[in-house]
Amino acid sequence: MTLPSLFDYRDVVGKNVVEELTILASYVGNRSIKMVNSTAVGGGVAEMLHRVVPLLNELGIQTTWEVIKGEPDFFDITKSFHNALQGKQEHFSKETLDTYLHYNELNNKDMTFDEDLIVIHDPQPAALIHWNPKRKNKWVWRCHIDLSHPNQQLWRFLQTYIEQYDAAIFSSPLFSPELAIPQYQFYPTIDPLADKNKELDTDYIDQVLEKYGIPRDKPLVTQISRYDPWKDPVGVIQAYQLARKYVDCRLLLVGDKAADDPEAEKILQTVKETAGNDPDIHIIYLTKSIASEINAFQRASDVVLQKSLREGFALTVSEALWKRRPVIGSAVGGIPAQIIHGYTGVLVHSVEGASLQIRGLLNQPDFAAKLGENGHQRVKDEFLITQNLKRYLLLLLAVERPDESSILLE
Amino acid sequence: MGDLFQFSSSTSLSKLTGRRAHNLEELLELAKTCSDSSIFFHTFSAFRKMREVQVPYNNDFAIWISQNLAEEALSEKLTAIELAEHNTIAGLRKRIVTIIEDYKKEASEAFERTAVKPFYLCDAVRIVYLTDKFAYNLKSFREALDSISVDSIYYHFIESRLQTHQSTDDFSLWIEESLDMPQLAAKIRNIDMHIYTLEGLRRKIAALIDSHI
Repeated sequence: MTLPSLFDYRDVVGKNVVEELTILASYVGNRSIKMVNSTAVGGGVAEMLHRVVPLLNELGIQTTWEVIKGEPDFFDITKSFHNALQGKQEHFSKETLDTYLHYNELNNKDMTFDEDLIVIHDPQPAALIHWNPKRKNKWVWRCHIDLSHPNQQLWRFLQTYIEQYDAAIFSSPLFSPELAIPQYQFYPTIDPLADKNKELDTDYIDQVLEKYGIPRDKPLVTQISRYDPWKDPVGVIQAYQLARKYVDCRLLLVGDKAADDPEAEKILQTVKETAGNDPDIHIIYLTKSIASEINAFQRASDVVLQKSLREGFALTVSEALWKRRPVIGSAVGGIPAQIIHGYTGVLVHSVEGASLQIRGLLNQPDFAAKLGENGHQRVKDEFLITQNLKRYLLLLLAVERPDESSILLE
Repeated sequence: MGDLFQFSSSTSLSKLTGRRAHNLEELLELAKTCSDSSIFFHTFSAFRKMREVQVPYNNDFAIWISQNLAEEALSEKLTAIELAEHNTIAGLRKRIVTIIEDYKKEASEAFERTAVKPFYLCDAVRIVYLTDKFAYNLKSFREALDSISVDSIYYHFIESRLQTHQSTDDFSLWIEESLDMPQLAAKIRNIDMHIYTLEGLRRKIAALIDSHI
């Protein structure tokens, strides 16, 4: 499949937005970036890099992407790093930390860092900077995970490497720790031309709903999320059941699961028990989701829920807002950055609150449509891939002028 | 033929400071001591984003106070600040601090309450750049108006006064001084930017020019 070019984004973000990206790129001039992460496929970071790297090249910024290598023991360690940095209590032995450093050192020997800007993504390759003490270029650490409550032992270890960087980038002020280096904010973004978000024919949407046996006779309330207690699928059913006394609708739960995850089986069982034999509740359990089908479910919905109890950034909210859906989201993690309560969606704090909002939105279609329209605009302003490109261009300008708060380009 | 008008545009890169406020006392301290670029981020930059989704606030301080402390009177007083009346950050900061300090005199108990969620102080690197769009008379200005970005409209109509230190927008100033059309300039200058999105503002200016031509 041919990837969309910058030109293709003109129809979704506007011709003048793409023109201004090219103007900004001309001010940046002949610069180069190297992105480094730990996986070429799977996960949001790789997905983002697959799109951003070619588009930056199209803007004239020579951008390359390298993936670090390691044996399973390295990736087992970095997986435990990931969990610990998000708060899991665990003790790391000296041997474990030395193994992590050993693989970073090995990778460093195989890599060159001649570009103007080196962007290291997440903790796996974060120590590479240690073996480049005489660098003349700029190094930035891009953290995609929530570091608000990190495991202190591990964080103290990593912090000594992170603070060697020229700057760090976080997705939200909620996720960032105190650091002695400048911190920039890059919101995560969605790609409006990806299968998950592109416009769909109504025929295709109808086919998908028919395939999964979902009649179109009643308003559809949907949550698309992994079957995981933190996504509160049981709370979603309870909210629907409370609302159902006053408004006729169907509930659609769509989710996948990590392979061989016993917790997912358990929560799915609880979800089914809570749903009982209500024929208007549709529980779809996918072992592997198809992006265009997720897109169809979102576009077919009258209201989209993201009633999580704990969240990362929750880009599923932006995906639904981009499709002009009214969204009910919990006020957790990155959801309030996307939903300005009452203007670009509604925020809730309980099952009861979600239930009241389902009733309100289904009974006030004009208000729901207004939220959807504003939500679409909010995503267009902040959470599209074109904004991510712009932030990288601005970063190239800003890291070279660390003491300037205002840059005039003439 | 008047002087050439070259359209500029502006954007900003958000920065995190790690500083936060949990109550009004701490917010007041932040407002007094933060960088000028932080004040810019939470006012001019925030207003540009809120305008597009029709949020009836014009700064982050007001929305945080309303949603996390329910001090609606203070929120309203801060929202009533006309950004267009401020052509320096120092003046704007002074106004914000004075409003909060005055409120403390009448509602000191409000300063003892803890907010639902903290206020995260951010900062910004502001970048202003020339575009490749020009106007040399009203006709060419009108044509360019359709093709410039909303960032460019925002810059010239609202933000540029921080740079020029003028008390008016760039469009009406150029139309008055270079094209010698004071009546049209006055109509553009008097547009209430609080009731339009930036696309709405573009259409309003275009309609005023069309009716003038």
